[in-house]
Amino acid sequence: MLKLDGLCKRFGRITAVDNLSLTIHRGEVFGLLGPNGAGKSTTVNMAVGLLAPDAGTVDVNGCGSPTQTDVRAHIGVAPQALSIYDELTGEENVTFFGRMQGLRGSKLAERVRWCLDFVSLADRRRDRASMYSGGMKRRLNLAVAVVHDPPLLLLDEPTVGVDPQSRNAVFDNIEALRADGRTIVYTTHYMEEAQRLCDRVGIIDQGRLMALDTVDNLITQHGGKSVVIADVAGEEVRVETQDPLAELAKFQNRGQLNRFKVEQPDLENVFLELTGRSLRD
Amino acid sequence: MNQIIALALKDLKLLLRDKAGFFFTFFFPLVYAVFFGSIFASQSKPIEGIRVAVVDEDQTPNSVAFIEELAAAPELDVLTTTRAAAGDLVRTGKRSAFIVLTQSFGEARDRMFWGDPATLELGVDPSRAAEAGMLEGVLMRYAMEGFQDAFANPDVMRDKAKTVLKDVADSDSINPIARAAMNRFFGELDRFMGEVPKFDDQNSAGQSENGDGSGGWQPVVIQSVAVAREYTGPKSAYEISFPQSMTWGVLGCTAAFGISLVIERTHGTLVRLRTAPIQRWKILGGKALACFVTTLATLTMLIVVGILLFGIRPSSYALLAMAFASVAAGFVGIMMFISVLGRTEQSASGIGWGVLTMMAMLGGGMVPLLFMPGWMKVASHASPVKWAIVAMEGAVWRNYTTTQMLLPCGILLAFGVVFFVFSTRVFRWTDH
Ligand SMILES: Nc1ncnc2c1ncn2[C@@H]1O[C@H](COP(=O)(O)OP(=O)(O)OP(=O)(O)O)[C@@H](O)[C@H]1O
Ligand SMILES: [Mg+2]
Repeated sequence: MLKLDGLCKRFGRITAVDNLSLTIHRGEVFGLLGPNGAGKSTTVNMAVGLLAPDAGTVDVNGCGSPTQTDVRAHIGVAPQALSIYDELTGEENVTFFGRMQGLRGSKLAERVRWCLDFVSLADRRRDRASMYSGGMKRRLNLAVAVVHDPPLLLLDEPTVGVDPQSRNAVFDNIEALRADGRTIVYTTHYMEEAQRLCDRVGIIDQGRLMALDTVDNLITQHGGKSVVIADVAGEEVRVETQDPLAELAKFQNRGQLNRFKVEQPDLENVFLELTGRSLRD
Repeated sequence: MNQIIALALKDLKLLLRDKAGFFFTFFFPLVYAVFFGSIFASQSKPIEGIRVAVVDEDQTPNSVAFIEELAAAPELDVLTTTRAAAGDLVRTGKRSAFIVLTQSFGEARDRMFWGDPATLELGVDPSRAAEAGMLEGVLMRYAMEGFQDAFANPDVMRDKAKTVLKDVADSDSINPIARAAMNRFFGELDRFMGEVPKFDDQNSAGQSENGDGSGGWQPVVIQSVAVAREYTGPKSAYEISFPQSMTWGVLGCTAAFGISLVIERTHGTLVRLRTAPIQRWKILGGKALACFVTTLATLTMLIVVGILLFGIRPSSYALLAMAFASVAAGFVGIMMFISVLGRTEQSASGIGWGVLTMMAMLGGGMVPLLFMPGWMKVASHASPVKWAIVAMEGAVWRNYTTTQMLLPCGILLAFGVVFFVFSTRVFRWTDH
């Protein structure tokens, strides 16, 4: 669905993206996980034709580069920076960008209604975007991205600056879009989000793709061991293990297990293992 | 094309919602035009009276006396001259009207109540139609006062009555019934005037009101003569202040749209537009179209106010449309230029208004071109504001021909093209 091949992008001395290759399959939710400045947005911008790569190629749906006008019709983008007109209402924003996508008449009206309903802004559609909360603006930003019903969606940090309630709403939206068979590229520096939503995750740091696999595989390969902390016969025991259940069963069999806690590795540990740094630096 | 129109409509909607922007593009220029127009208007308004040229083709004591009366009138500023010179004076706008006392004037005045009345030819500058009515009223009144004087001075009246009686007796063109009636009337009048005491001034004033109410009969006949206006100069101060201030409306639109392009960049909507399946030139085309249409609309609204409320009479509406279109097109290029001047909304607005104000200062948007010292008049050629003013004045009062109009309009278009091409080349599509 989306193929990035050997992408490079430099800004002066900074190498924002360094020889990055990815293939994203139809119907999957792909997470691009990395800390601030890792090169996620630069990658997305090249993938949607906003930036010309210094080297490498992008192919969308077998149609070629998104720098060609008609290829962009396959893509929906929710940029990291909110990209809506504050002085237009929610409805006017979606309608306007729908027109830019070439929609017209009843088809346009129907899509606008669907989008606003989809992000639960139908009852606020007549209010100007400047009156919206941060979370509502994010949802509008997403609604505008899907107005033309694109098969491929690139969502650049769609939960930044969003309260937990709106964040859950966005998660529900993304799951609904996935269930609908859409291909989604999702960038984030929150590993919980990648873990919850994504079929596969690419870990990116300093412009380089460090690892790419399903969440489970990444954790087994790079996450290290789980830690079991147990109160055994009044004494605290701490064991590192690949198989915490087996370890707990051993304590249970001895009949001395009072309390226990298991610390399983997550993508944070994967990142630490791969880069030697924490995600939240 | 649909997409360009949708882009432009979006911009118009945004502009209308921006109250401050709307004020600066429309109300500010209007206030400016009225303010300066009224200052100059009150300075240049003739306190003396309507400036008229008077031609005496009769050369009788009656005509001389009437002209003396007009010359003494506070409502008029009289210059006596020949018919040919008088016509030129009005055609070139140096006098508002000419008045010709035709050859039979004196004779007809003596005859008073019968035969053709005395005739005045009146030629009024067509752009002073409002003054024409007033002028006729003034002439009528002074003509009437002559008769009142006759009534106020019984000796003069008795002389007149005797002359009339003699004329009636000599004439064979008068039918017998009228002759009998007139003989009786003027005979009675002669006797009556011999008996009445002289009226004092007050009585004469009182009588003038009675005289005015007599109806049907006129002391003079005023014949209008068509005058073709050749004068090329502003007909009022508003004709100077409006084109000048309208350029501020243009600058307001230019700044508003230039800055709005920067806002689209900083607010990310430009990025979003670029991810849509639409070519870049269309995105800029939509902005240009919106700016063009808004500028035209602003100019039209302002000139309509000028025409309806401030008596502006453009010499050619077709050329005015041509001037407006060239001004709008030229300033679309400058709008693009504003959009590349700053990274942020604030810097674009600051630098943009700085540049526009310079253009206005240099081009006569502040101090009218007419009042500029020589070197500044030369320097003003570099400012598109100057050509905008010249083009609009050309169609309002400079009375330009189409060929003369090509120069300012061509220069405006050239400014537009140069600025547009340069600016689109250096235009930054992203924020970094
Ligand atoms: N237009 C640009 N000009 C100069 N440097 C840039 C530009 N865009 C990005 N960079 C630099 O490239 C690097 C990668 O930036 P990018 O925006 O892709 O990171 P990111 O992973 O999206 O970060 P974040 O999580 O903060 O959004 C950063 O060091 C950034 O400063
Ligand atoms: Mg980013």
